[in-house]
Amino acid sequence: MSDHEHHHHEHGHTHEHSASEGQDAGTQALAEALRSSFFIVKVVMLLMVIAFFGSGFFTVGASEKVVILRFGKPVGEGDKALLGPGMHWSFPYPVDELVRITNSAQQSVTTTVGWYFTTPEQELSGEELPAGSTLNPAIDGYLITADRDIVHSRATIVYHVRDPIAYTFGFSNAPMMVLNALNNALIHAGASFNTDDILINRQTDFRDAVQQRVMDLADQEHLGIEVDQCTVDSIPPRQLAGVFADVVNARETSANSITAAQSEATNLVLQAGAEAAAKITRAVVDSGNYVTLVKADAKRFNDLLPQYRTNAALFEQQQINLAMAEVLTNVGDKWFIPENANGKSSQLRLQLNPEPPAPPTEGQNQ
Amino acid sequence: MKRNVMTLIIGVILVVIFLLLLFTFQVRRTQIAVVTTFGKPVANLDQPGLYFKWPWPIQHVYKFDNRIQNFEDRPSQSLTADSNPLIVTVYVGWRISDAAAFYPKFPGGSVEMAQTMLENMVRNAQNAVVASNTLSAFVNADPTQLKFDEIQNEMLQTVQTDLATNNYGMKLEFLGLKKIQLPDSVTQAVFDRMKANRQKLIDNLKSQGVADALRIRSAADSDAARTLADANAEAIRTRAEGEAEAAKTLPTFEQNPQLAGFLLRIDAIKQSLNQKSTLIFDEGIPPFDLFQNLPTNSVPNP
Repeated sequence: MSDHEHHHHEHGHTHEHSASEGQDAGTQALAEALRSSFFIVKVVMLLMVIAFFGSGFFTVGASEKVVILRFGKPVGEGDKALLGPGMHWSFPYPVDELVRITNSAQQSVTTTVGWYFTTPEQELSGEELPAGSTLNPAIDGYLITADRDIVHSRATIVYHVRDPIAYTFGFSNAPMMVLNALNNALIHAGASFNTDDILINRQTDFRDAVQQRVMDLADQEHLGIEVDQCTVDSIPPRQLAGVFADVVNARETSANSITAAQSEATNLVLQAGAEAAAKITRAVVDSGNYVTLVKADAKRFNDLLPQYRTNAALFEQQQINLAMAEVLTNVGDKWFIPENANGKSSQLRLQLNPEPPAPPTEGQNQ
Repeated sequence: MKRNVMTLIIGVILVVIFLLLLFTFQVRRTQIAVVTTFGKPVANLDQPGLYFKWPWPIQHVYKFDNRIQNFEDRPSQSLTADSNPLIVTVYVGWRISDAAAFYPKFPGGSVEMAQTMLENMVRNAQNAVVASNTLSAFVNADPTQLKFDEIQNEMLQTVQTDLATNNYGMKLEFLGLKKIQLPDSVTQAVFDRMKANRQKLIDNLKSQGVADALRIRSAADSDAARTLADANAEAIRTRAEGEAEAAKTLPTFEQNPQLAGFLLRIDAIKQSLNQKSTLIFDEGIPPFDLFQNLPTNSVPNP
C-alpha cells in the first residue's frame, strides 16, 4: 500500500484512522530508525574495512629492515625479503606479520668470564671488595694462561648485524650467542698466550687473537655479524699486585740501565769516530805538509848549493848568523855570561825539579 | 532484497573466517610443527606457511621453536689425564630438528626437560673428554700442542652421537668452552708459584740489565778501539805514503850531504828555540864572540 492510498483511506474512516494512524507512525518511526541504524552499520563497516586495509601501512626507519611473514613464510628470498627505509604496505595480521630488524646500529657485548667478582657500582666508586687469598670459581672469573698462570681479563666487542635474517630468525637469543663466542674467544686466547705476553709484551696480538676468534666463531655459527672493534683489559691477580709491580719496577730499572749504556756507547763510538777522522785528516795534512816541506827544502837546497860550493865556510857562517838572529829574536830569555876579568868562565848553577813547598796545614794557619 | 544480499555476504565472510580459523594454521619462519590425529603424529612440518588441519579433537598441532637455542651447563669438575683438577663450563647451541621425534620423547614437548636431558649428555661427554686429555692440551703456547678445538669437537661429536642414537629430534649445532677454572684450593698454589716466578724474574731482570749494559759498553769500547786502530793504521799508511813521496827528493840532497846536514841542523835550531826558551851563551859563541875583549864592569874574581 502506497502512502497516497493510505492517506485517502484515512479520510473515509475517522475512528479506524486514529488507531491505525498511531500504528503507522510507530512503524514508520521504526523503519526510519532501522534505516538510520543500517546506514550507520554500513558506514561503520566501511570504516572498519578502510581501517583494516589502512592498518597495513607501515614505515621502516633508517637503521632497520622489515621482513613480511605471509602466513608465517617470508615474502621474498634473501635480500629481497628485506624492506628498506620508507613507507610500505602489507596485509594486516593474521595474513601478514611484520618482523622488524635493527641492522645498522652497532651493538656491544662484554665478557666477564675472566674477571674477578665485582659490580659496576663498586668499580666506579672504587669500593671493590678486597681480594681474598684464593679465587672462588663460583663467582670469580679468570683465565688460565699457556704457562699455567692466572690472569684477569675482560673483553668488549662492538659489532653490527651483517645478515639480519640469519641473526633474527636463526637464534632464539642471538646476543647471548655472540657473548658466548666472545667468552670462548677470550679463554682460548688466554690458553694460547703466556702471562707476560698477555699483560705486557704482546697485548695487541692478544687482542687481535680474541677478535679473530670471535669472527671465526661467528662465521662457523652463521651468526651474521661483523665485528667492528674489540677491546681487552688484562691485569694480574689482585693477590699478586705487589710482586707484579716490583717486576715492572725491575723491568724499568733494567731498561734504564740499558738505555744509559746505549747512550754512553753511542757517545763513545761517535767520539771514537770523530777522533779517528781527525787522526786520518791530521795524517793526510801532515803528510801533505811534509812532502811540501821536503820539496821546498829540496828546492832551497838546489838554490843554495851553488853558493855553498863557492865558499862553504863563509856560507855556513852567514847561515848561522841569520839563524842566531832569528833565534835571539824569538827566545824569551837570553842570558849572556861574559868571561871574568881573570879570563875564567863564570859558573851558572841551575836547580832542576825543585820540590814544591808543602801547603800549610789548617792548624798552622790558625 | 538488497539488505539480504549484504547480510548474506557478511554472513559468508564470517563463516569463511570461522572455518579458516578452525581448519587452518600457520607455521612461522622460526617454527616447526607436528600434526597429530587422535594423538598419533601424522605430519611433520619443517617449512613455514599456511596448512590445513581437521579441527580439535580430531587433529592437534604442536609447534616448536626451531631456532638455535643457547644452553649453558653448570660448572663441572673433572680430572685431566695427568690428574689436574679442572672446572669446565660448556655452552651449546642446539635446536629442535624433528618435531615428530621430539614431541613424544618429552611430555608436552617440554623444552626444559629436553635441556635437562641435554645437560646430562653434555656433562658425561665433558667428563670423558677432559679425562682423556692432559692439561697441556687445554693451555699451551704451542699451537700444535694446544687441542682446544679438538676437545670441543670431541665433546660435540659425543653428544651428537647420543642424540642421533636416541632419536630425540634434537640437533647440536655447536659446542664451546665458556670457562676453564681451577678449584679454590689450587689457586693458592698457583699464586705461590707465580709469586716465586715473579721474584726470579725480578732477579733476572736486574742481573740481565747489568749484564746487558756491560755488554753494550764493552761492545762500544771494542768498536771505538777498533775504529781508532783503523784510523791509526790509516794515518800511518798515509804518512808512509807522504814519506815515500818525500824520499823521492833524497837524490837532490845527496849532491852535497854536508850542506844538507848543515841546513837540517840550522832548521832544527830554529824550530827548537821558541819564546819559552832560555838561551845562555858566552863570548865563545858566535856572534857573541864579538863581545870578547870589550871592557866590562864585571868584578874580577879574587
